Amino acid sequence: MRERLRAVLLQELYITRRSLEIIVDLFYTSLITVVVFGFVSGFLTGVLNPNTGSYLILGMLLWDVIRVNQYSVTVGSLWNIWSHNLSNMFVTPLSLVEYITAHIFSGLLKTAVIFGMISAIAAAWFHFEIWRVGVLNLALFFANLTIFAWAVGLVLLGIVFMIGTRIQALAWGAVFLFQPLTAAFFPLGVLPPAVRAVAYGIPPTWVFEAARRALDEPAVDWTSAAIAFGENLVYLGVGVWAFSLMWARSRDSGQFARNDA
Amino acid sequence: MSIPLLQVENLVKDFNGFRAVDHVSFVIPKGCIIGLLGPNGAGKTTTIHMLLGITTPTAGRIVYFGREFTANRQACLQRINFASSYNTLQGRISVWENLVVYGHLYGLRRPEDKIRRLAEYFGVIPLLHRRYWDLSTGQRTRVNLIKALLNDPEIILMDEPTAALDPDIADKTLSLIEEIRSTAGVSILYTSHRMAEVTRICDEVIFLDRGRIFAQDTPIGLTKRIRSAQLRLTIEGDRGTVASFLTERAQSHRFTQDHMVVIDTMEERIPELIFGLSERGVWITDIEVQKPTLEDVFLKIARGEADA
Repeated sequence: MRERLRAVLLQELYITRRSLEIIVDLFYTSLITVVVFGFVSGFLTGVLNPNTGSYLILGMLLWDVIRVNQYSVTVGSLWNIWSHNLSNMFVTPLSLVEYITAHIFSGLLKTAVIFGMISAIAAAWFHFEIWRVGVLNLALFFANLTIFAWAVGLVLLGIVFMIGTRIQALAWGAVFLFQPLTAAFFPLGVLPPAVRAVAYGIPPTWVFEAARRALDEPAVDWTSAAIAFGENLVYLGVGVWAFSLMWARSRDSGQFARNDA
Repeated sequence: MSIPLLQVENLVKDFNGFRAVDHVSFVIPKGCIIGLLGPNGAGKTTTIHMLLGITTPTAGRIVYFGREFTANRQACLQRINFASSYNTLQGRISVWENLVVYGHLYGLRRPEDKIRRLAEYFGVIPLLHRRYWDLSTGQRTRVNLIKALLNDPEIILMDEPTAALDPDIADKTLSLIEEIRSTAGVSILYTSHRMAEVTRICDEVIFLDRGRIFAQDTPIGLTKRIRSAQLRLTIEGDRGTVASFLTERAQSHRFTQDHMVVIDTMEERIPELIFGLSERGVWITDIEVQKPTLEDVFLKIARGEADA
């Protein structure tokens, strides 16, 4: 099992190193976004409540935890589908669990590197210290956002397996649906009441709200963390279940094999 | 009696009410090359995909090395491999990186020596550090064959491995396949549209048509099923005598030149025709019998003209 995990991780490393698209999608986009949000945040801090600007840059840093993790789980497989190589990998002893585990691990590594990089830039250039929210808080935010990203990533990967590359844009675009719904960059109260009710059912909403509060008071909000975690368990359970169904369906309909053709 | 390496029993695959594979059964003994032939849509590729576990059968059993495939997927896949002209390796990374990845996927802790050895054998050492996408089709085929041998497989499933190759490279690829079989004793299930190469390398041929096994025999055995033949005679004598003799016996014929007649007949009537013409004073200076090839069998099946 270790060799097969190593194989998928090595492949991820080789592809990442040689793909300008991945470097642009992940590293470059994060870099430019933090710079833009840094300047906007600086501007808003000067004219509005000092925390308004911080909300923006905080939301951006935490949103990237979702974006990069989900991208790695879903788009990682598209690189193999585009190369007509995915079914080649699945006719080796590689199991689906090993394959997904390796992509999750690869996503975590990429997220850690990118999050570290943009947090350092935010601190050095825009005087925003992510540590202000507290180390334990940060770990809880990171964990909850990561689990949510896995759940979304698995569902989108299942859709790609089941339907094929004609819906591939969803792999990197669909997650942005949650950006307004989870109030990533503004207080939840800004949302209309009906949308707010939906937002409470999405785990990152609790994380972003808790993170904004933690800028003033870094004590851990265990209630929000527990609700987010509980919702995440449901999301992940549904994500795994939906992915399993779509995986079985793609092999039954022959679409999985046709994805490479 | 030794256990067959692969045993397929009543394999069925339905796609939305359409039966793509219909109760297909066969075995592959050790060291044999079995050809899986048939027109487009016959069910060859679907069968291969089910044998590899990437498409789920509707019904039937697949048993590798005496073990149920579905219950022992990983153990079975460790001992088989796959090569196809339709699947490629990861295009963005180098040949070497691809082969290292596949080496680890097959559980090799240090695949580097084996990759170098196989690369030398297949003559691709200079390509190892080139990006896979930058290779020619022939070069990719050789690299795919290296991938297919990394785990010392006992069975290789090959889905039209020469489909995209020019005749020269296809010939070299076939030589390599023959060499793999003779040196490593590997069994191969081979699908192709090229009858000549199937005749050349396969011990047995399974013809699929509309998902069913239509015929299964050695390549020679299959051609014997078509009893028609074409007889070309070079003659000295009266053309009218020849024509009336053949017409009396209801033999379809045509004169391609004044002294050359082509007769479409049945194999068993050839002696009768030759002796009959001689008895009528026709001097036969050359005889050429063209027997059906596997291509003819294939065409007859494709057109629905052949008997099982």
